[in-house]
Amino acid sequence: MGAIFAVVTGILFGLGVFQLLRRDLIKVAMGFFILFTAINLFLLAVGTFDGRVAPYVQPGTFERLEDAVPNGIPSDPLVQALILTAIVISFGSYALLLGMLNVVGKRKNSINADDLDDLKG
Amino acid sequence: MTDNALILGTIFTPFAAGIVCLALWGRNRAQRWVMLLAALLAMGFALALGAQALTSGTQIYRLGGWQPPYGITLVADGLTAAFLSAASIVGFAITLYTFGCKDKQMTRSAYAPTAMMQLTALYGTFLTGDIFTFFVFMELMVISSVILVATADDKLGIEAATKYLLISAMGTLFLLVGVGTSYAVFGSLNMADIAQKSAEAGALAGAAMVILACSFLLKSAAFPFHFWQPDFHTIAPTPIHALLSSVVVKVGVYGLIRLTTLLFPTLVAELRVILIVLGIIGIFFGSLTALRTFNVKRVLAYSTMGQIGFILISIGWGNTLALTAAILYSFNHALVKSGMLMMAGWLASQNKLKSSKIAQSQGLGYKMPLASALFFIGGLALAGIPPLNGFISKLAVVQGGIAASEGDVVQWLVLGLVIGGGILTLLYVTRLWQAIFQSPPNAQTAELKPAGAGDSLLAPALLIGGCVLLGVFAQPVVDIAQTIAVGLADTTPYITAVLGG
Repeated sequence: MGAIFAVVTGILFGLGVFQLLRRDLIKVAMGFFILFTAINLFLLAVGTFDGRVAPYVQPGTFERLEDAVPNGIPSDPLVQALILTAIVISFGSYALLLGMLNVVGKRKNSINADDLDDLKG
Repeated sequence: MTDNALILGTIFTPFAAGIVCLALWGRNRAQRWVMLLAALLAMGFALALGAQALTSGTQIYRLGGWQPPYGITLVADGLTAAFLSAASIVGFAITLYTFGCKDKQMTRSAYAPTAMMQLTALYGTFLTGDIFTFFVFMELMVISSVILVATADDKLGIEAATKYLLISAMGTLFLLVGVGTSYAVFGSLNMADIAQKSAEAGALAGAAMVILACSFLLKSAAFPFHFWQPDFHTIAPTPIHALLSSVVVKVGVYGLIRLTTLLFPTLVAELRVILIVLGIIGIFFGSLTALRTFNVKRVLAYSTMGQIGFILISIGWGNTLALTAAILYSFNHALVKSGMLMMAGWLASQNKLKSSKIAQSQGLGYKMPLASALFFIGGLALAGIPPLNGFISKLAVVQGGIAASEGDVVQWLVLGLVIGGGILTLLYVTRLWQAIFQSPPNAQTAELKPAGAGDSLLAPALLIGGCVLLGVFAQPVVDIAQTIAVGLADTTPYITAVLGG
């Protein structure tokens, strides 16, 4: 499981960086989102060093933590909270980026990164 | 340790003001008053908090009452006090400048809420004691700065904002990777907890340190990551430019000081060398490019790069005197640079094209004694001429360098380069002053000069007046910076204050 996570995160990371370096700005935006997904997966993997089942605790009193969870050792719920926050933030920046690319495309009639070269000083 | 409500007050005053400004959509005057009051109140809270942190030790606030290291803890120690007071003073000055600013953007209803969110994020980054919350505030700051620059009067705003959003979002993404990595190593997000555990950390902690350092260097626009900064800062509307170029770049500096003194003090020996090298390159690259740039705002943006170089070198030296210098330099540079940038904005407002190109603003300030004097004093303070505050901070840097370079030839060479780089600042500042205030307007600029008055000079006058005062009565400020730097050497009080007994 850990190996699959590592491979998938690595592939997504590579895809994201590759797309970020493209000329087409829509592809750049896609790459940005893929990269964010890769990082979210990485955060999720960080939380599974002890166990992998959902951190759901049965009602009642228990001696050990393992007994309180129905199917074994729970994974760390903190990183899942972090991922929720990160998803909200990435959604916000992604929407902002696409909105700005929309304006750029209308003004310039192009979304090629090479055409955005008016800033020279 | 009891919770200090002033910490919450500092962050939530601008936040609440942003929401009130949203409710006041379309009522521009009311929005400006709300902004001014909120910034004034936040400045009061921040200064009171700083005074408390210096007199009675580190102040904390546990959100939701969770005992650290669980939950989010907001912490104000001496270092926070220094950066937060600079940020809140500049934050107040920019809301004051907004009153006298003639830009069309200031009359749009979206401006005030976004600017208030930016201040919230700025204060939050300095006050948080939790690296994930640091990331959240950083991302809030990126998004609000992007919106403010994209809606600038300049048509190129959207292009500058797109570039900045891509680069800066990458920076914060890597910050998130760093946060994740240090969580994997330490199992904690609390800075005090990480500091406690970092001494016996393995190789992965080094990876976390490198990723965090890279994203802080990107935020502070240090040399290899500088390319976004002049474009983005030049296009920004004047008040936002003043905030971005003086305090927002200091967030990266603050992060680096925290990294080298609190989080990973045992791992940063190589990082210190790299910081010194990058700082030297930054000083010369920034200052020499500023000499060959033909737009006043752009010259000052490149100048920020050079000035950040001095701070990076001081952090690299890392002894108590050099850290005193880094803190003093950050504080003084924030005041001087925001004042100078407001002067540049005032200059652009004197021009019908709203342009700050030197060719189009030659002689615009001819026979304007007040503005000329302010620009001259501000420029000298930036260059570090006594008795202004820039001199005090440069002197502190040199003292830190002497302390760091006992019997080491390479370090003496570095010190020589630092002093030489300081002289370059004088060159580009006097070049600007001569072109704008000392030469009579030529045919083109006489045509461009509008009859009406431009922006108000009140805010830059206050800031530059503050520079003179801090230069003449420097001793108390130097003492405070020294106390903070001595406190940085020992992390135990910080850890005890946050984690308890």
